[in-house]
Amino acid sequence: MAKTAKIYTVSQINSLIKVALEEKLPPRLIVRGEISDWKHHTSGHCYFALKDETGVLPCVMWASSFKKIKFSPDDGMAVLAAGHIDVYTVGGKYQLYVDKLDPAGIGALQLAFEQMVGKLRGEGLFDEEHKKPLPPYPMRIGILTSESGAALHDITDSIRSRWPCAKLFLYPVPVQGEGAAKKIASALRDVNRRNKQLKLDVLIVGRGGGSLEDLWTFNEEILARAIFDSKIPVISAIGHEVDTTIADLVADARASTPTQAGIVAVPDVQEVRNHLTVMEQNLRNQLSAKIQHAAQEVRIILAGAVFRNPLSLVQDAEQQVDELTADLVESIKELMTEARQKVSDGYERVARIEPHRLLGQKTVELNDWQSRAKSGIGTVVHTRQMQLTAQANRLAALNPKSVLQRGYSITTNKKTGMLVKTTKDVRPGDEMITELADENLIESKVTKA
Amino acid sequence: MAGQKAKDDISKLSFEEAIKELTKIVGQIEQGQIALQDSLQQYEKGMGLIKHCRTILQEAEKRIEKISASETKPPEESEEENKQGQDAEDLPFS
Repeated sequence: MAKTAKIYTVSQINSLIKVALEEKLPPRLIVRGEISDWKHHTSGHCYFALKDETGVLPCVMWASSFKKIKFSPDDGMAVLAAGHIDVYTVGGKYQLYVDKLDPAGIGALQLAFEQMVGKLRGEGLFDEEHKKPLPPYPMRIGILTSESGAALHDITDSIRSRWPCAKLFLYPVPVQGEGAAKKIASALRDVNRRNKQLKLDVLIVGRGGGSLEDLWTFNEEILARAIFDSKIPVISAIGHEVDTTIADLVADARASTPTQAGIVAVPDVQEVRNHLTVMEQNLRNQLSAKIQHAAQEVRIILAGAVFRNPLSLVQDAEQQVDELTADLVESIKELMTEARQKVSDGYERVARIEPHRLLGQKTVELNDWQSRAKSGIGTVVHTRQMQLTAQANRLAALNPKSVLQRGYSITTNKKTGMLVKTTKDVRPGDEMITELADENLIESKVTKA
Repeated sequence: MAGQKAKDDISKLSFEEAIKELTKIVGQIEQGQIALQDSLQQYEKGMGLIKHCRTILQEAEKRIEKISASETKPPEESEEENKQGQDAEDLPFS
């Protein structure tokens, strides 16, 4: 007869499986697999599966564990998940409860770094065109680093040794740990805001070497953005030569170590001094050359023929004068000869006319005319005289006063001066003047008219 | 007198500005484009600039100023006040 088989409840089975798993499996283990069905629930918890060629293992990661990881898990990613196996009785499955997740192959931080680089590069934060040129002769330099770290000394020593004339300003910040990135970012923004007063020419953000975890602050997005936004040029001087952080990629210039910051940030004062000396020498030489040149020009002029023998000019002129004078004399001689010739020609022509003979002729004619004129005139005069005498006689005859000779007289009214022609011209009592032939006058008074 | 004013102008220049001006002057004189009279003037100015630059380079401030977050200070403070006002301590680095 068969023994009666035990009948289990679901709960019992699940319990047994749970105990069996606890016994058989280590309390904590690490599983390698590929993520699939990744779900990041709104609750913050993550549900996914790890798979390999043969099968899958369901996984859960609580939000509290998930927020610690720096990279972004996704389907297809090969990971190492650490946690413990337990039975989810409600769902009837066993799960890996993951408290730590790392990318397989490379570290979580490394992956996070690569992901952040990709993201920010995509936004153009690393582009050359956004990088500001460094001032060639910075006189006021701001340093953001830990007050107690070695980096500060490295930076200041290297700057001092090369360019001691710069003034240095320290803005102390934490350079690792929680919240450091935020503090450095806010320090950068603060300095930018106050730069009208601070007048800083360049900023150096630095820290000494360390692990990827130690340097993680300088890979954080908030710091990268603050560096990008800084109007003051930023030099990153982080870690050792081999380390490259995101801050290095965003900064306007990168120094591979804090000591290198001195080389990157400032020039060598001795070189600059030499440059000044060279320019001073150039100025002197150039000016000296110019003066020499000018002096040479003067010498050449002085050496010229005119200055050597100034009389030569005068002598040339004298010669010219002599030549011109000779010409002038010649011309005058010619003119005079011509003139003489003209005169003698004229003389001959005149002589040909026989003027003396003509003159004799004309004299005779003249005399002739003269006598004729004389007698003519005489005749005329005589005639005229006779006419005149006749007229004079006639005139004399008409002279009213000649009438007086015959015994007549002229009587005028003394008062009015009018002639007394009739008795009406006078009244008794009037005085009268009578003119007689010998021009004597008789005054009388009218007694009766 | 123009000389004193020119000297004052030079002493106001930053190092970078002074070097730039100096390079320009040296270039001008080298080119030979300017008259002798102007060359002399520019030479004087150039020498003044060199002196100014050398004076700046002579400075050697040993101390490091500490600056840190201003909480309530208004932005129009002069730089002198900023230096003294906040937590300005001078660190004795030598």
